[in-house]
Amino acid sequence: MKRTLTVNGAGREVDVAPSVSLLSALRDDLGLTATRYGCGRGQCGACYVIADGRAVASCLLTVDQAARMEITTVEGLATDGTLSPVQQAFADLDAMQCGYCTSGMLISATALLDRDPEPDEAEVRDALAGNLCRCGVYGRAIRAVLTAAEALR
Amino acid sequence: MSGWGEERREDLAQRIRVEPDGTVVALSGKIDFGQGIRTAFAQIVADEIDVPIEHVRVVLGDTAETPFDFGTFGSHSVAQEAPLLRKAAAFARRQLIERAARRLALGAERLDTEAGAVVGGGRRIAYGELVDGRHLAGPIPDEVPLMPPARRRYSGQPMPRLEARDIVTGRATYVADLRLDGMLRGAIARPPSRGAKVRSVDDASARKLPGVVAVVRDGDVVGVVAERDEQARAAAAALEIDWEITPLEGPSAEVPMRQDPGVDAALAKAAKQVERTYVLPPIANAPIGPSAAVADVRADGATVYVGTHRPFGIREQVAKTIGLETASVRVVPLITSGTYGRNTLGDATLEAAILSKGARRPVLLQWTREEEFAWSPSRPEAVLEVSAGLDDGGRILAWRYEEHTNVHTAAGLEPRVLGMTSGRNAIPPYAIPSASVVLRIEPTRLRTANFRSLAASENVFAIESFMDELASETKQDPLAFRLRHIADPRLRRVVERVAERSGFGEGPGERRGRGIACTIYHDTYVAQVAEVEVSPAGAVRLVRVWCVVDPGEVLNPDGVRNQVEGGIQQSASWTLLEELHHRDGRVVTTGWDAYPIATFRDAPESIDVLVEGDPAAPPTGVGEPGAVPIAAAIANAVYAACGARVRELPITRDRVRKAIAGR
Repeated sequence: MKRTLTVNGAGREVDVAPSVSLLSALRDDLGLTATRYGCGRGQCGACYVIADGRAVASCLLTVDQAARMEITTVEGLATDGTLSPVQQAFADLDAMQCGYCTSGMLISATALLDRDPEPDEAEVRDALAGNLCRCGVYGRAIRAVLTAAEALR
Repeated sequence: MSGWGEERREDLAQRIRVEPDGTVVALSGKIDFGQGIRTAFAQIVADEIDVPIEHVRVVLGDTAETPFDFGTFGSHSVAQEAPLLRKAAAFARRQLIERAARRLALGAERLDTEAGAVVGGGRRIAYGELVDGRHLAGPIPDEVPLMPPARRRYSGQPMPRLEARDIVTGRATYVADLRLDGMLRGAIARPPSRGAKVRSVDDASARKLPGVVAVVRDGDVVGVVAERDEQARAAAAALEIDWEITPLEGPSAEVPMRQDPGVDAALAKAAKQVERTYVLPPIANAPIGPSAAVADVRADGATVYVGTHRPFGIREQVAKTIGLETASVRVVPLITSGTYGRNTLGDATLEAAILSKGARRPVLLQWTREEEFAWSPSRPEAVLEVSAGLDDGGRILAWRYEEHTNVHTAAGLEPRVLGMTSGRNAIPPYAIPSASVVLRIEPTRLRTANFRSLAASENVFAIESFMDELASETKQDPLAFRLRHIADPRLRRVVERVAERSGFGEGPGERRGRGIACTIYHDTYVAQVAEVEVSPAGAVRLVRVWCVVDPGEVLNPDGVRNQVEGGIQQSASWTLLEELHHRDGRVVTTGWDAYPIATFRDAPESIDVLVEGDPAAPPTGVGEPGAVPIAAAIANAVYAACGARVRELPITRDRVRKAIAGR
């Protein structure tokens, strides 16, 4: 069944069963693999995308639901090759190890700063609490988000 | 344990290649899964061969390109490879200078290098021109003059990892992100319990489902290959398989690790005897990205794209599994989720190879979260029984230690190997006149194998908790008590430094306490202080951590800090939250709800890592040591905060309350 998804500002057509997850459609039909599978139950944050301004688990959205939303993935964060302040801060502070969960963190952080440009540390922790990281870069990631917030001012 | 010390005679061509465009390719059989070795290797090579670091391309673990390597374990990569790559790069630079000298008819001593070119006599020849189809080669000598430290631009400087930009833009291709032409998706039908055998398979209804291309069976591996992932999963669930259930037991063994004479007698006549038991549950590696592999098996050869600690070992296993010569299998390691030891076993790789062979198409197999928890190997449980005898001055005279656990690696059951793996760090780093240390491998139905730091975390939890208990039983300060039993000057230094830096001994405030612990892990010296706050209900919050680490010569101080911080954060999660439940070898905690790990909310306010490497000592690993002492530092801090001595992990509020009640 054909559906048009609005991803990173462009209309993209996918032809899949309506129950297919947005995560699968992004990865397997649109080639946008920065959004990653981690648990399929919305419990780890690896597959977060921004949907209508909120960070949500793309494994829990169907293509049918997502077709009515504006979706942003990590591939849509940089502008003409210039990293967004959140991306830049994560790279500069080396707020990553294996990097598998990094996409999801960047999404949560971007959604946070879009709605609250001056979060305090506790708000950063809350906003990213759904993003599990096993390598343990939480401390660096918190600093990266606060650094990005400063850069945005 | 890597390599078990085999002789290396290496040729420069296996290590350094200069491309016509001046790119310097550095080759190593090691793998980077987030520990930053690609960056560390690039730093060394850029400095020694004298090129900008952007001109260095590090190829890791591709079996078609890199020299044989036993595997990436035990925080050995930098220790083993750094000196070799440094010598190779220096040797390459010398060869480039000699080539330029011949071309210019000048003495080599009149030439120097500068940013990828040989310079001298008013001339400048780029490295790429000097290679001109004739690769650098020759046995790498044992002694090669190295760049003077003043000319090193990168080694020793903090640097973000080279892959950072690809990771934050989403361009990095993890194994599950690879998309090959004609690639299909696989799913495996899992048995009701570990070790079950297939009696028969009825695939009639599965084959009728949309997208199904093949149902593949090879022995007890049964799976489906389909156009899409969802289709493969649905069809695998629709297979009707008659399983014969045969419970598996892990092995048993007894390994004496240190046996001094007269331990019993010394214990019996000691002025004070203390005896304690510590218990750790099984825990999961729990990578955020479940196991994945892509296999492209053809009649005459195969390529597999994988996350692995040992590409050469996996190559052999794949070849054997699908019936090809080892030489016709190529293993290409891609960037993967951190797996903390789990990827030593190539489960998904072998399954993907079987599916690809059966379907005659490239196949991507990615395990589900449930499969990852249920079927991965885990860290075994451990029971540590320890007793000590002290003289009337409060000095340890004798020590008896029994470690009951199961295997921590797939490396084998030879006693010497078990002693280095499942018995890792069972021997205390203290000066103790008479000690007996025995490792007992006891059967388990749980599948157990490689886990970050192997048994060191368990043993050091017991030893360092016990040291605190001995100090408290004899009314000594835990820091002073450790120092009077430390003979090694590097261990003494990290312990003293962490105490200074954290203000150990100062009162941290109401309901708060600080605990100290230390260890020597593969020649890396590490000491930590944890500060915790214990709520009236017994909930433990890790407030902050101080760590001093001496890993010998330091190549990338920020890379070291990042690794050590991560090790502390991960191990704090093991200590405070994690326990894997299993029944007859089948893990029953198979989701993040049933197996919670630390989140952003649990992260301590700060992790202060001071990297003070002894520059005269060879570089040692930092991937694991940070994870080792923190459990005991936290347990000791809980005791300091509220008097509750918790000897069983995880340190739950229930256990803290019980320990307070039992005081």
